[in-house]
Amino acid sequence: MSTSRNHLSAWLTILLASTTPAQRTIPDQGPSYTRDVRPILSKNCFACHGPDPGARKAKLRLDRPGEVQTTKMLARITHHDPDEIMPPTSSGKTLSSAQVAILRRWIAAGAPYQKHWSFVPPKRPSLPPTSSNTQHPIDRFVRTRLASQSLTPAPRADRLTLVRRVFLDLIGLPPTPGEADAFANDSSPNAYEKVIDRLLASPHYGERWARRWLDLARYADSNGYEKDRNRSIWPYRDWVIRALNADMPYDQFTIEQIAGDMLNEPTPDQLIATGFHRNTMLNEEGGIDPLEYRYHAMTDRVATTGTVFLGLTTGCAQCHTHKFDPITHTEYFQLMAFLNNADEPDFLIPAAANQGARQSRVARANQLLSKLGDRWPDRGESQQIKFAQWLADLRRKAAPWRPLRPRKVTTNLPLLTVEGDSVVFCSGDTTKHDTYKLEFDKRDQKVAALRLEALPDSRLPAGGPGMTYYEGRKGDFFLSEFKLRANGRPLKIASASESYARNRFGSNPVSAALATDGDLQTGWSIADAVSKRHVAVFVLANPIPADTPFELEMHFGRHFGSSLGKFRISATDQARGGHALALGQPTEQLLTRSDDQLSEVDRETLRRAFLLNSPELKKAAEEIRGLRAPLQQTLTLIFRERPAHHPRPTHRHHRGEFLQPREVVVPGVPEALHSYPANAPRDRLGFARWLVSRDNPLAARVLVNRHWATLFGRGLVQTIDDFGAQGAPPTHPELLDWLAVEFMDEGWSMKKLHRLLVTSETYKQSSNIDPERLAQDPSNRLLARAARPRLEAEILRDSFLKAAGVLSARMFGPPVRPPQPQGVTEVSFGKPRWNPSTGENRVRRSIYTFAKRTAPFALFQTFDAPSGEACVAQRDVSNTALQALSLLNDPMMIEIAQALGKNLAAFARDRDDDSKSAARHALRRVLTRHPSPNEVSALTEFLARQRRRFAADPTSARRVINAADAATDNVEWAAWTSVARALFSLDEAVTRN
Amino acid sequence: MLLRTLTRRHLLAGCGIGVGNMALNSLLTGQLNTGNTSIENGPLHPRLPHFPAKAKAVIHLLMAGAPSQLDLFDPKPRLSKLEGKPLPKSIIGDQRYAFIQQDAAVLGPRFPFRRHGESGAVLGSPLHHLGKVADRLCIVKSMHTDQFNHAPAQLLMNTGFPQPGRPSLGSWTLYGLGAETNDLPAFVVMSTGSGVSGGNALWSSGFMPTLYTGTRFRNGRDPILNVSAPGGFDEELQRDTYSLVSELNRTRHQVIRDPEIETRIAAFEMAARLQVSAPELMDLKSEGQATLDSYGCNPDKPSFARACLLARRMVERGVRFINIIHEGWDAHTDVAGNTRSNCKATDRGTAALIADLAQRGLLDETLVIWGGEFGRTPMVETNPALGRKQGRDHHPQAFTMFMAGGGVRAGYTHGETDEFGFHIVKDPVHVYDLQATILHSMGFDHERLTYQTAGRDYRLTDVHGKVIPALLA
Repeated sequence: MSTSRNHLSAWLTILLASTTPAQRTIPDQGPSYTRDVRPILSKNCFACHGPDPGARKAKLRLDRPGEVQTTKMLARITHHDPDEIMPPTSSGKTLSSAQVAILRRWIAAGAPYQKHWSFVPPKRPSLPPTSSNTQHPIDRFVRTRLASQSLTPAPRADRLTLVRRVFLDLIGLPPTPGEADAFANDSSPNAYEKVIDRLLASPHYGERWARRWLDLARYADSNGYEKDRNRSIWPYRDWVIRALNADMPYDQFTIEQIAGDMLNEPTPDQLIATGFHRNTMLNEEGGIDPLEYRYHAMTDRVATTGTVFLGLTTGCAQCHTHKFDPITHTEYFQLMAFLNNADEPDFLIPAAANQGARQSRVARANQLLSKLGDRWPDRGESQQIKFAQWLADLRRKAAPWRPLRPRKVTTNLPLLTVEGDSVVFCSGDTTKHDTYKLEFDKRDQKVAALRLEALPDSRLPAGGPGMTYYEGRKGDFFLSEFKLRANGRPLKIASASESYARNRFGSNPVSAALATDGDLQTGWSIADAVSKRHVAVFVLANPIPADTPFELEMHFGRHFGSSLGKFRISATDQARGGHALALGQPTEQLLTRSDDQLSEVDRETLRRAFLLNSPELKKAAEEIRGLRAPLQQTLTLIFRERPAHHPRPTHRHHRGEFLQPREVVVPGVPEALHSYPANAPRDRLGFARWLVSRDNPLAARVLVNRHWATLFGRGLVQTIDDFGAQGAPPTHPELLDWLAVEFMDEGWSMKKLHRLLVTSETYKQSSNIDPERLAQDPSNRLLARAARPRLEAEILRDSFLKAAGVLSARMFGPPVRPPQPQGVTEVSFGKPRWNPSTGENRVRRSIYTFAKRTAPFALFQTFDAPSGEACVAQRDVSNTALQALSLLNDPMMIEIAQALGKNLAAFARDRDDDSKSAARHALRRVLTRHPSPNEVSALTEFLARQRRRFAADPTSARRVINAADAATDNVEWAAWTSVARALFSLDEAVTRN
Repeated sequence: MLLRTLTRRHLLAGCGIGVGNMALNSLLTGQLNTGNTSIENGPLHPRLPHFPAKAKAVIHLLMAGAPSQLDLFDPKPRLSKLEGKPLPKSIIGDQRYAFIQQDAAVLGPRFPFRRHGESGAVLGSPLHHLGKVADRLCIVKSMHTDQFNHAPAQLLMNTGFPQPGRPSLGSWTLYGLGAETNDLPAFVVMSTGSGVSGGNALWSSGFMPTLYTGTRFRNGRDPILNVSAPGGFDEELQRDTYSLVSELNRTRHQVIRDPEIETRIAAFEMAARLQVSAPELMDLKSEGQATLDSYGCNPDKPSFARACLLARRMVERGVRFINIIHEGWDAHTDVAGNTRSNCKATDRGTAALIADLAQRGLLDETLVIWGGEFGRTPMVETNPALGRKQGRDHHPQAFTMFMAGGGVRAGYTHGETDEFGFHIVKDPVHVYDLQATILHSMGFDHERLTYQTAGRDYRLTDVHGKVIPALLA
């Protein structure tokens, strides 16, 4: 690419000429369009003269070549008349004289345009020559640039600072003094590389880097919005940790998260990975339209995909064509179309271990069942009589049911599929008021009654039979009307019965009969008994005569969507109709036979049904049902691509509004980006592959830049989430490109990238600040020293846990709740309480902490962690009094200080040197480095004062350490706890040096 | 807010765009490494708005859940006559409801109304305390919103956007005006009702620096998270600790020379001050019995009235923005009982706050805003499956809010609804218009108060809103 060569020759010029400052003048080749001109135009002109035709003034575009009348432009930007000057006074924008000068020089040089730098694929630039003693590619780029500004790199950080830095960066934990000293005392030439190897292989590596990824994935353990109920998607979090630990290549990592379900015979892990785009929020408030909030989730998915994989603010094109970047309004929805064709089911993770357990439980249940009769209370004397009574009663209620296969099924939106045995299965989107219409052919028998079987199925939420997935209880349904018509006239239903009915809202009435009253607010539901078969029977006032076709219309829904997911309609011609029974179809069938039609086996089947349902054996029967029930399985949220015959159309939405859908769009990618392979399918999987194809100029650059920013304090492109026209141009464009190409050439390996970054001398520099150099480059854009970032919230807590010696090494699993101050979660809807975990779960790594969107964990929020409500590429870093208060007074911090205090007291007890070595040890556990004598004495003096105070006030000592009783060493423990608490408040304790 | 100080990164990220040159200059020239508080530096430095204005502080009483305008502000005798019958179809149009059908019967006003003061402001009987300050109110009967559900509508009211992620009105206020106090958070949030639908996002700083986030005051003895040292860590130990931390940080600064260390030292100094100023603020002993009685508050018991009194004390101490959220007005059943009990909890405190501010000469520069996120239907909500009767469902087409003080027109009622209270027939005010007007009362052109992020300039009012001059004094 010619730009690169130009840059390179400029660098070479600088380098060759860099003998004295006076000779460092660069011959004026005109300003760089990318670096100098475009940012000015983008900021000041593109809003009215850019890509958006809707906002374009005077039909003038300045974002592409060939349309600029440069003389006229120059005249307007330098005009003296406030009515004529550009940008217009009303825009509030003005060009500085320096900016005008740049534009003037650019025009003088012929106003050359270049494609925006980030849309041009990176090519590997050759390495600048090196004059220093480092051959590391990163250093060669960085030092060349430094030299051009007469800056020299900072000296290398001392070994203890360096080992602490690389521990915190790579695994998010500080070294113990022992781990640090092992490196400091290792004189082998590859001592540092050995540490890197160890850290990259540590399971904590995945935990540290997964947290960065979860910010982007807007991961949380609750649904968001008002209700903000808990959700189970932590298997996705664990998948990320495992994938990073396994160094899954970033292209594969991306493909599995965007479209793992579409891979050939996807593994459970590949399905779990699609949780990436299931981390969107779910509004469960009563009045919402579920389709509207699905649309909001879709816009979030497009924006997040843009930020994470393209570094582009695609979200800006939701309402209109992007004002600065080449993404049209239609292209925005074409991107959405790729992602918009998935259903969003729950996924029960199959566990191989469960298989055997399940079998042995069923065997045990069968064994118990075969002997169930023996457990009859009065040695079985009354059993025969009761059985006969039961049988007689049920025979009166039973009827011979014949399943009806509908001739035609239609709905307002969901897809009904007629499967085997006349079972109807529902899939696709549901609304708050779904209507199913079933047409039945004429029959050779009359229809006296109809039976509706609501059937469970593992494909449905909570196993069905309902489709309810929000607000209500998962798997429930609400049948509000059951209406029949024949010959164009409604048919009257005389009576109705059901096997079970329960309202999700208290004891308010629900029943099958209420589904025949013409009132949409009343009906039948089965709360608290999901994943079971339920039956309702509707008896006609006048049977439908034979040879008469008829229609059934069912209405579902209350203030939330609650349609039926799987059902079957059967008919009987028996004049008295029947009653709703739920003994299972085979047993119910037997009830219609007389004694002489029953075999021994049939009789035993009936007897067992009787026993299982007799009040006398309630407890034993429950045990059997418990054993038969499916084992509790872990649930997570996934994408599943829709069947080919039932695609979901995507529309362009006028002004980006849900209620203004316009024409249907087909999947496609923005024209300005790399082209979509002609032979690739236009679906989510094809799109995922396009995102991480070698031709994508953005994916690798964006990824490399994000990791760079984490390790070096700021991105080579400072606007980590915006590589578009409004974003910052790279400070080291060639280095960025070199790294991006290297990253792809090395198989998209993130571990290799990390190794590359942390082995550079640039990384290893001291972070101490030289005031003179600070003035020269205050934000350290040129990297003449290492960054000194404050620890991320989670790393901060984990560091203290490790320093205190109590960090749990247990990985994975459901989220945990470490202690936090009272009243944090109570502000949310329903005033939920935060019940802290006990034992080891209080001290797990922070990534396992329950993340509630409307009330994030207090300490994390105070230290700028995101809420999971939107994709965050870069956290804010604040430095506040609330943080100071948290470090000093938060109950969890106190608990950690107590743990460290206990260790320190024990350490001091074994040594007789006025606590000096223990004080030194304390400082090292928290700060890693060796303390100065002054620091040690400051600590021991503080310690001595606290000892005196606690000795005089044993009650305070007990309260400080939450001791139950007065013990002799309470004072020591309390005094050392005070020391630990102070140490955690030190600037260095919360900073990566 | 003040207890959060500027970091070097904030400064260099150039977060002052749009506030005007003055603010920008103060941001860029502010010296950070003075080791002092940030008050004369950075993003919380007090600064002038776009044009001179009256309101310097805001107390926003968010009546979350949505009070019934038809029972408190907007009497419709026609509804009493129609009671039991449905509204004309032409009125309802294609509006769909969460809990009621379009043909639901009308429910007349549940309370008598009367006129108050010289202005003759009309109020329902549960608001009899408010009647005493009627001539100070600027009542808007023609509010409307485009959100039908609590969380999105509350978010729209507080942040100008129905989804989480945008800065709240309080954040915009701090961003525009900076802070006046060094000893308390400049943006405080109190919640006195049930759990808040919009959650944490209602006082979030969104994409702005986190130091513009509201600080929640909890209802317990310890209003600010962790402001009190835990048991056993007495004052002397706390002092020793502050001093040890400061000494060690200063020593280390000599070696590392990172200005951020000085910011941290200053943050700890502010934390120490906060440990004194917060209890002082919360200690209501110095308030006279007459004042306590006028609010009707027990000084030791958290309540809406106590929050109002605290809000006045905060305004006196320079707090810029106070959001008191009283959630609980969501009367899907028994709208009369709900209204009565919520008014019992809030009416007296609200009226006392306005009178108290006026009496102390603070009302002119303090804007008080009262209202919910939408209104309630003229139709009754009855639902046997949910056990509900005599309630009202959500109504975004028309609702009532009022303001007082801070540059708004006193003794004035704005806007009209039709005879059913369903649609606005005169002078509609959208939430965005209200926000534009609020910003105007603080001296900001809502189209010029912008913040740049993700490549574009954002406003509180997005691309909407117009100032309603009639509401201004």
